Amino acid sequence: MDTKKMTSNHGRNAALLSILPGFGQFYNKQFVKGAIFLILTVSFFAAFYDTLNWGFWGLFTLGEIPVLDHSIFLLIDGIIALIVTALGLIIYAFNIYDAYNNGKKRDLGLELNSVREQYHNLLDNGFPYLMISPGFFLLVFVVIFPILFVVLLAFTNYDLYHSPPAKLVDWVGIQNFIDIFKLDLWRKTFFGVMGWTIVWTFVATTLQVALGIFLAILVNQKDLKGKAIVRTIFILPWAVPSFISILIFSGMFNETFGVVNKTILDAIGIGAVPWMTEENWTRLALIFIQSWLGFPFIFAMTTGVLQSIPDELYEAATVDGASILQKFTKITLPLVLFATAPIIITQYTFNFNNFNVIFLFNGGGPAIPGQNAGGSDILISWIYKLTMTSAQYGKAAAVTMILSLIVITVALWQFRRTKSFQEEDLM
Amino acid sequence: MKKSLSFFMMLVLVIGMLAACGPQREAQPENTDKDNGTGENQAEEPKPEKLVVWEDTDKGVALKPAIESFEKEYGIKVEFKELGMADKIRDQLRLDGPAGNAPDVVTLPHDQIGQVVTEGLLQEIKVDDSVLDTFTESSISAQMYDGKLYGLPKATETPVFIYNKALMEKAPETMDELYTQAKELTTGGQYGFLALFDNFYFAHGPIAGMGGYVFNEKDGALDREDVGLNNEGAVEGAEFIQKWYSEGLFPKGIIGESGGAAMDGLFNEGKAASVMNGPWALQGMKDAGIDVGVSVMPKLSNGEPVKTFMGVKGWNVTAFTKNPYWATKLVEHITNEENAKIRFETTQEIPPVKSLIEDPVIADNEAAKAVAEQSQYAVPMPNIPEMAEVWGPMASALQTIATGKAEPKAALDDAVKTIKTNIETNHPAK
Repeated sequence: MDTKKMTSNHGRNAALLSILPGFGQFYNKQFVKGAIFLILTVSFFAAFYDTLNWGFWGLFTLGEIPVLDHSIFLLIDGIIALIVTALGLIIYAFNIYDAYNNGKKRDLGLELNSVREQYHNLLDNGFPYLMISPGFFLLVFVVIFPILFVVLLAFTNYDLYHSPPAKLVDWVGIQNFIDIFKLDLWRKTFFGVMGWTIVWTFVATTLQVALGIFLAILVNQKDLKGKAIVRTIFILPWAVPSFISILIFSGMFNETFGVVNKTILDAIGIGAVPWMTEENWTRLALIFIQSWLGFPFIFAMTTGVLQSIPDELYEAATVDGASILQKFTKITLPLVLFATAPIIITQYTFNFNNFNVIFLFNGGGPAIPGQNAGGSDILISWIYKLTMTSAQYGKAAAVTMILSLIVITVALWQFRRTKSFQEEDLM
Repeated sequence: MKKSLSFFMMLVLVIGMLAACGPQREAQPENTDKDNGTGENQAEEPKPEKLVVWEDTDKGVALKPAIESFEKEYGIKVEFKELGMADKIRDQLRLDGPAGNAPDVVTLPHDQIGQVVTEGLLQEIKVDDSVLDTFTESSISAQMYDGKLYGLPKATETPVFIYNKALMEKAPETMDELYTQAKELTTGGQYGFLALFDNFYFAHGPIAGMGGYVFNEKDGALDREDVGLNNEGAVEGAEFIQKWYSEGLFPKGIIGESGGAAMDGLFNEGKAASVMNGPWALQGMKDAGIDVGVSVMPKLSNGEPVKTFMGVKGWNVTAFTKNPYWATKLVEHITNEENAKIRFETTQEIPPVKSLIEDPVIADNEAAKAVAEQSQYAVPMPNIPEMAEVWGPMASALQTIATGKAEPKAALDDAVKTIKTNIETNHPAK
């Protein structure tokens, strides 16, 4: 900064004055703007005083008198107060920033915008913000709000015995997390479920992606006749709503009456396989089903990418004497992965939380003695059971937080490593 | 420097705002005196203009006549709304109660009472002994929690023995008899008798009949410390259950989550001569064109009846009503003999009203008679919240028993251990 050369300190003065919103602008002689900030501030407090007062009190105490105070409603009021405060602070920060900037302009001897110019500026620069604001507000309440709720819930003792209106919910710090790692039953279940969740995510997703790409490349061969029909058939599993497919698979894998044991395996001379009652067989069946459900999407996407690869690349490679395998590993695969990597990553995160297939196929079963969750339960279906059967809302929220942390970390790390996020284009 | 300064100012603002807030509530309203019971202030309680009732879906037809006669007798208007009883009413009450839109009376399955009372959604009611005497004892005990009465029973249901008249002439008297019959009938895709014994709801029958129990009763309340699911009787019951699977009388395909659908399918296709199932399954069977017979469960080898689990739907007064006295009156009115009879005639729900069980309407109806008779041997599902911890471990144990992966004794010991740990972790002692 070249503040040393300046003789005046309008920037600093204006910023300091605008601690009372509007006064910095008055100092800069922008009276209309200052008045707008001042009115905004006053009306903010007039309109939200009750919300903020009640909300913050509720957020800190979670209520004081059982029956009269409903802790969960107070928590919700508190979150609303937090959001309103955040919005207020944004406007407040803008007010200081604006005063400082204009003061700076005066320091440098530049002329300030007139009211008319300010108005035009606002329209020109503010238009995009105006356009995104409805969506933004909706997002704040539909996405941010529930996330805050879960995060806060993870630090409370909300369960059946601390349920409003009869009882109050209290803040308990990180007790829930301590319990999950300390109490035998919880720890054993958590790591058991976690282990399977990771195996499930990697094996099921990798299989479905590999199968999709493999089939796409196969179907894309030049001399294949009837491509349209083959493609349509491969995309069909995608056309059937997945929950219907899963329910039908669940019937097909029935140990006594299912077509898998009774007809298919019987025909090749393999005895009945305990698909539903032996955990590892259930897991295997689930991986098969997920591959079936998931590959058409990858297949369709890869087909699209393959068609956009120019033939010249292959012709040049042929001229240079590349083998088929070299063409595949040096041209086809990099281009396909480059174009689809972000979507493949989302497939991993999707399967990490793939509740439908786990829950509908065998309800997370089969049962395992001495554990809180079933043999094929992944974290998300375990959380569902915790909330629905044990009413352990606080603990479930804590597990949810751990789960989200994992998903977010992995997703961020992978996204950052993906080429398509680093470079603008490859070709 | 600018940044840190403005940040500091923001902090000042936030702190200032936080300091401003506090419990500056208007004079706190008198703490709810409805907890003190309704007994003393009945006389003073003025007649409300109207009462609101939440009834199960599609059961309003049975409620309407009762409401009309109540309106005529007391001059209080009653409105009702239909909501799914299984969980909608409870979930909605949780939200609407504190928000001030709560109904005065709701209907709930009795096994939710413990949970809902713990959450503070229902209140105790005071009813004359003469009224209580009109109901069967077990149905009243189902409405009790912690020694207090929270409602009056509306209807009961319990699994019974259902058989295909084309395949089985008459219901056997004893389980031994059924066992020999099943041995003969079970060949090549045909089954003599099927039951979902891997589901604790159905398995409780033989286990309790042999002497097992979930929670023992102590001083009029269920004792959560005393779990009798691995005692000698329970093990005998589990051995009895295992026999059906290990000898191939039950196929493996009726084990697990989708077992119920598989069993219904077999019976409706005429491939199973008899099943153990609840009265709710009857309509589907009749629709499938099966000529069904219904009777009580055959007696066990020790001469005891099968002690099935009983579900009792009840009428409960919410904690949020301003008119507990009149709400209780309304509950008494809609459960009285006359209205209970109307209920049976319109919805086929079987009210546990003593005088009605001998009444020809029920006595001459094969299904209703069987359910009513079986109800006498049945045990109400425990309604304490700790029961939630029993289902999962027992299902695991029964499944491993059914698939032959574990010996009954070992599996049940394991289950009881898990149940006790879960109760300790999830339900702190009061």
